[in-house]
Amino acid sequence: MGKLQEINKHAALNASRALSKLINRPVDVQVSKAGVKKVEELAPIIGPEEIVAGIYLPVTGDIKGAALLIFSEETAFTLCDLLVKREPGTTRRLSGLDRSALKEVGNIVSGNYLAVFSNMLQVKTIEHVPSLSFDMFGAIVSQIITNFAQKAEKALVIEIEFIFKPVTLKGYFLVLFGLEQIDVVLGPLENHRKLIKGSG
Amino acid sequence: MECMDIEVKMGDIALAKNADNLAASGIGSCVAIALYDPKLKIGALAHAMLHHSPTPGHGSPDTKYIDTAIDEMLKKMLTYGAKKQDLEAKFVGGANMFSILDSDIGKQNVLSAKEKLKKEGIKIVGECVGGSIGRSVEFCIATGIVTVKTKF
Repeated sequence: MGKLQEINKHAALNASRALSKLINRPVDVQVSKAGVKKVEELAPIIGPEEIVAGIYLPVTGDIKGAALLIFSEETAFTLCDLLVKREPGTTRRLSGLDRSALKEVGNIVSGNYLAVFSNMLQVKTIEHVPSLSFDMFGAIVSQIITNFAQKAEKALVIEIEFIFKPVTLKGYFLVLFGLEQIDVVLGPLENHRKLIKGSG
Repeated sequence: MECMDIEVKMGDIALAKNADNLAASGIGSCVAIALYDPKLKIGALAHAMLHHSPTPGHGSPDTKYIDTAIDEMLKKMLTYGAKKQDLEAKFVGGANMFSILDSDIGKQNVLSAKEKLKKEGIKIVGECVGGSIGRSVEFCIATGIVTVKTKF
């Protein structure tokens, strides 16, 4: 098993456990695709005007960068129904509680991923308090890209699925690293440049 | 005559005339700068990301920077017969999408666009900047009208 697949498998398993505990029902987090992309290729993942919930977490330590978890508008609403235990289809706008719940999902996914990542690649990562923006995908992702435009060239893009039986929700998890750490961090993962089928 | 809608992607510029429209979608901290010559009915739009080029004048012009993007738009418009004194500028964007992001890139971008346009002697006729909202821009070349769309 490749290093990236191994990281994905462990991180997804840990995130599943943590998320299940948070909402007190079984949730299966799975990685459906993962790969390294150039930063300028990130914008076309979703239409630039499409409304998304973006949960951003700055990362410091041996590697400096950003983690960004993205859900489409509908997925964010459905996720809030499940997290806050509302009738399906009731969330139509994000309340303070919904925003907190989504940020917590960001914390869980990002925290578990970075913990496994640090362990396997022997690098220290510290994640910081999450921040949420609910707006156009282009505006959200371009702000993060711009912040790193002179410092980052590549990002790790992970497509994740949250399976709350019978509902499956899809999200994107992006990890951007500073330029000076690219070789250290992405070197071992470069063999997996092409999109890799899930860790299964 | 068939008219075209041209989408200007992040870091790019484009020029259009007559019935064509220029557009830039999902602008956050970036700044969209519209230059218009009402006499000739030609316009140019930039979707720039960063305030100023680190090494201006070296290598091929990088239009992701505001100063270089304005230089390149001016160059193209002047080639089409536009005169600097006739040009009108509008700019949109410069938001900060994440409150915790220790970044004033948006503000710097707006300031940089204003300074550069002033330096080039171009009249600023409108702006829609700042805050924490995403914006999309449509620039109608037939009229010079710039429409800003937000989702909320």
